Amino acid sequence: MGSDDWRSCSDNEDYLQDGNEDDDEEDCYSSGFLSKLQFRKDISKARWVDDLAMAEVVEKKGKMWVTMGIVRNGNTYCSIEETLFLIEIGALHVLDGNDIHLSLKELYEKLSNGKSGCYWELFEVYKHLRSLGYVVGRHGIPWSVKGQQIKSGTCSLEGSQESNEMLEMEPKDENSVIELFNNMQITDVSPAFNVYLPNSKFRKSSPGDPSFVLYISRCSPPSRVEIEALERKHGAIPFKFCHVENGRVSFFSLAKTELPVLP
Amino acid sequence: MMPRWKGKGSQAKANADPMSKIVSQLQSSLIQSETRGLLSSCSVLVEVDAELADLLNRSCFGRPRNTAQENKQWFQLDMEEAFYLCFSLKCLKVIGEDGYIKSNEELWDYLKSKKPVFPISYKVYSHLRHKNWVVRSGLQYGVDFVAYRHHPALVHSEYAVLVLSEGDNDLNGRLRVWSDVHCTVRLCGSVAKTLLTVIVNSNNQGANSPSCLEHYTVEEQTIKRWNPERSREDQTGPKNGTKKV
Repeated sequence: MGSDDWRSCSDNEDYLQDGNEDDDEEDCYSSGFLSKLQFRKDISKARWVDDLAMAEVVEKKGKMWVTMGIVRNGNTYCSIEETLFLIEIGALHVLDGNDIHLSLKELYEKLSNGKSGCYWELFEVYKHLRSLGYVVGRHGIPWSVKGQQIKSGTCSLEGSQESNEMLEMEPKDENSVIELFNNMQITDVSPAFNVYLPNSKFRKSSPGDPSFVLYISRCSPPSRVEIEALERKHGAIPFKFCHVENGRVSFFSLAKTELPVLP
Repeated sequence: MMPRWKGKGSQAKANADPMSKIVSQLQSSLIQSETRGLLSSCSVLVEVDAELADLLNRSCFGRPRNTAQENKQWFQLDMEEAFYLCFSLKCLKVIGEDGYIKSNEELWDYLKSKKPVFPISYKVYSHLRHKNWVVRSGLQYGVDFVAYRHHPALVHSEYAVLVLSEGDNDLNGRLRVWSDVHCTVRLCGSVAKTLLTVIVNSNNQGANSPSCLEHYTVEEQTIKRWNPERSREDQTGPKNGTKKV
């Protein structure tokens, strides 16, 4: 290569055509076993239980129950986000304690009142991933527990997380308990969902580790310190951040790295 | 992201000609020739012969200035490049506007006065250069630097580098809000680069002299956008192996 090439080589890169990824956002009902919005003949039925802030499934139709709802003592229960999602696509009818049909409006109200451990943006994220075929469950809530009745407050986001983590702690391990509380004070980001890839042979009885844990960030991006804490906490399991604004759901991976020393 | 070599044979060329060796040759040659740079506002100008011009080009320090002058070539060095040659490689001396050679401390103070973030910016520049990456300005991409695995003629740059700071010396205001993350990642993606943030912590050492630099710590982080529409089939399983059966 002549000296001209070395000298005249500029740093200009061709701007690549920006992908049309954002156009797909509107057509998000395409894959997996859930078909587009349509009038369904086989509609499942569930009864909303206010104490649990969940819907107990009384009649199951269709294959989606393999990856939807948590199982306690043989019964299946749906969180508010699962319930809303299924109602929106016409796959579920929900009744109240008096067997009266609950409207979509009433269920949106249940989401908004804050007692179901969920809020609008979390629901948007849930729906976005579910519609693409991902299996999504709340972080910290086991998919299936045998021989145990469902506990009131299972769906409270903070409650379930704390109780699961406290159960894992050895009582004598003081340092780790302190660390647990330190980690909990990480502001602004809280683990929302465990996400599994679609087409995985998902079984509630042994789901395995999620493909990643998803954090929803509301205000500002996480700091380096927060990310390092999360890397310590989750170990080998990847985690991602999701930012929801104006109905747009975006996902980012932030990870510590180290560029190699080159020859 | 895998390195994107430009054309056949580029990777072999790069392997045969390691950057560390080129830089080392540059260093010896500059020392031997007792080259002096001329400080002019925020640039340092050097006048070099053909051999040094070739080394500067191959190691990617400075930009050549085309002049009618025949036997000598002028190069223009950025602040970080000039300081790296002076302070880290100790192969260049810079003459100030007053006509006298500036000590490293004087040069440091001068450059800081021109660019308050210079200490952390320089830390990142030297951190990557020490690992033998080629580091150039990233201004046209809205970032601080772009990092190449070897000469830009041989390989596309993989990383768009943003300098961030934490701790007492928190001068850089980037990526404080999500819209800036969206913006920067999108821009990097459209030119096929990964966003690399390099976070400098001055550990309360301040920035009074360049000797403070060795106490600064550096962490690297990548920020990538994940597209759930695309990744459904492609991803391998969780890092820790197969799921429980």
